[in-house]
Amino acid sequence: MPLSAAANAHLSSPALIRIENLNVQIAENGGQSILDIPAMTIGEGECLGIAGPSGAGKTTLLHVLAGLSPCQGTIRWGSRDLSALSERNRDRWRRDNVGFIFQDFALVPELSVLSNILLPISFDHWRIPAQHRAEAAALASAMALPELSRRAQWLSRGEQQRVAVARALLRQPKLILADEPTASLDKDSGLAVIELLLTGARQTGATLIAVSHDRRFLDRLDRVVHFDQGRIVDSRGDLS
Amino acid sequence: MNPWPIILADLRNLRWIAWAVPLVVAVAIAIGIAVSAQDQALRTASARAADDFDLLVGAPGSQTQLVLTSVYLQAEAVGLIDGGLLNRLNDDPRVAAAAPIAFGDVVHGYPVVGTTPAFVTRWGRLKPADGRSFTEENEAVVGANVALALGATVTPSHGMAHNGALGEEGAEEHAHQHEHAQYHIVGRLPRLNSPWDWAILVPIESVWEIHGLGNGHAVDEAPLGSRFDAPSIPGVPAIVIKPKSVAAAYELRSEYRKGGTMALFPAEVLVSIYRTLGDVKQAMVIVSGFNNALVLVATVSLLLTMVGLRQKRYAVLRALGAPRAYVLLAVWLGSTGLLALGCLLGLGLSLAVSWGAGALIEARTGLHLPIALGWSELAFVGVLLAGGGLLSLIPALFVYRRPVGPSLR
Repeated sequence: MPLSAAANAHLSSPALIRIENLNVQIAENGGQSILDIPAMTIGEGECLGIAGPSGAGKTTLLHVLAGLSPCQGTIRWGSRDLSALSERNRDRWRRDNVGFIFQDFALVPELSVLSNILLPISFDHWRIPAQHRAEAAALASAMALPELSRRAQWLSRGEQQRVAVARALLRQPKLILADEPTASLDKDSGLAVIELLLTGARQTGATLIAVSHDRRFLDRLDRVVHFDQGRIVDSRGDLS
Repeated sequence: MNPWPIILADLRNLRWIAWAVPLVVAVAIAIGIAVSAQDQALRTASARAADDFDLLVGAPGSQTQLVLTSVYLQAEAVGLIDGGLLNRLNDDPRVAAAAPIAFGDVVHGYPVVGTTPAFVTRWGRLKPADGRSFTEENEAVVGANVALALGATVTPSHGMAHNGALGEEGAEEHAHQHEHAQYHIVGRLPRLNSPWDWAILVPIESVWEIHGLGNGHAVDEAPLGSRFDAPSIPGVPAIVIKPKSVAAAYELRSEYRKGGTMALFPAEVLVSIYRTLGDVKQAMVIVSGFNNALVLVATVSLLLTMVGLRQKRYAVLRALGAPRAYVLLAVWLGSTGLLALGCLLGLGLSLAVSWGAGALIEARTGLHLPIALGWSELAFVGVLLAGGGLLSLIPALFVYRRPVGPSLR
């Protein structure tokens, strides 16, 4: 069975994302292809791991899926072709549907825990609605975060990543993209973040796509797709 | 959308630069505005101080010096003109009024000016704010700022120099006191915002008499300021004339420019001074303009650098769903806010500098400068702010147009 077909063979839930003939090239490298996926489907509520060596195109895939990097080919979100959306509509789609988690947390260190969690709400609202404040406070409490008024820069690394997870989950996105979410954390903090991410995704029915080298994390995902030099080299189902 | 959380975070991230940028902009703006405001105030104050001096007659010499000495009471030795001229002028049908101005004595550093009771009240335009005008030879009227109480008795000293603080009797002044001469202060003039606020006005007759020249009258009891009928009328440094008409003023000016006298309109001397001041101001405005432009460009370059260092932050915001307009607004409002704060501080600082410089000038010359910001200064700041706002679009557009993917790495 071709690998691209294997990348789709697992699906038992309706498809959320369909990738067709995806190709990303970089001009600086003579137009060399850094990501080449003939076909790939990701199901609704699926927890998918992306693994592979450095430079395999894992992070590029996340950026392309979020509409942050240009690409050739088609990425379908349900029936919508994301690559055909205007920049403005893509921002809107991302705001409404995607939660992003970064390896280095990417918090705004000068803002408080609460302000960081609520930051995506400020993209739409001048005044943060009370409902969002309450939800942010509940998320922070569920993630055992310290006082909400504390500046992010004074938190431990584990706490910072938990704030980032709360920020990503606040709007209950349909798609959570996590780029090496445990790579900067110690063992215990990493485990806590894995737990929070999986619980958060499963409780809300979100699709989770996580780039990771962490076996503890990958082992708990529904499926792991391995990349090398921009291509899928292995795809298998539940590793547990 | 509400970009203020990010603007606030960016300002906190800038740390001392967030304070330094407005301060540098403020200093640059303050210099430009202070030069302009000071120049305007100096012109207004000096012109107002010369209001009652339509035409001056003095000994031939420097016109500027005669104006500075007679109108602005800047003590300098000037030549004397024949006192008999006072009678000729008062008899002239083209003259509404004429009064002598004699100086040379001091009391506690305040210049003593000898003149007539008519000129004390500026020919009826003024009334003493307190007390009355002098009616006796040993009486004096003080300017609004003279720190001497009504009823006080003072002794004048000969000499121009005053080494002590104003209001105190210096050692040199004490050494040159006119023995047996005293003035009783009987009145205080209202504030004129001119050097005359710091002067002590006494009868011209007293000045002559103290210097052993008689009192200019045939009899001792003659009313002050009345026709001088002594066989020999002492000389005076200057005579101020109020002509009956403009034509009369020009005729008198022409007539008294010969025969051992010099006549001039203080306004023509002021115009010449203003022209020189204007050239200096023009040069300073050009230098200040370059200065402001350089500061703006340097500030925007600095902000551009800072934005470059923070481009990952803005890329993360985009990844989280922020519209491009959100990051554009965050960067533009942050930069423009710093410049606007600098402009506001600059306005305040320029007022402070102008008031400080005005106080120094007032202490030195007695000329009160009416410092105020006019529309031209506000327009200047408005243009700077608009220019700064446009320049601030550069870092904002830099972020707006930058692809997100590469910045996230």
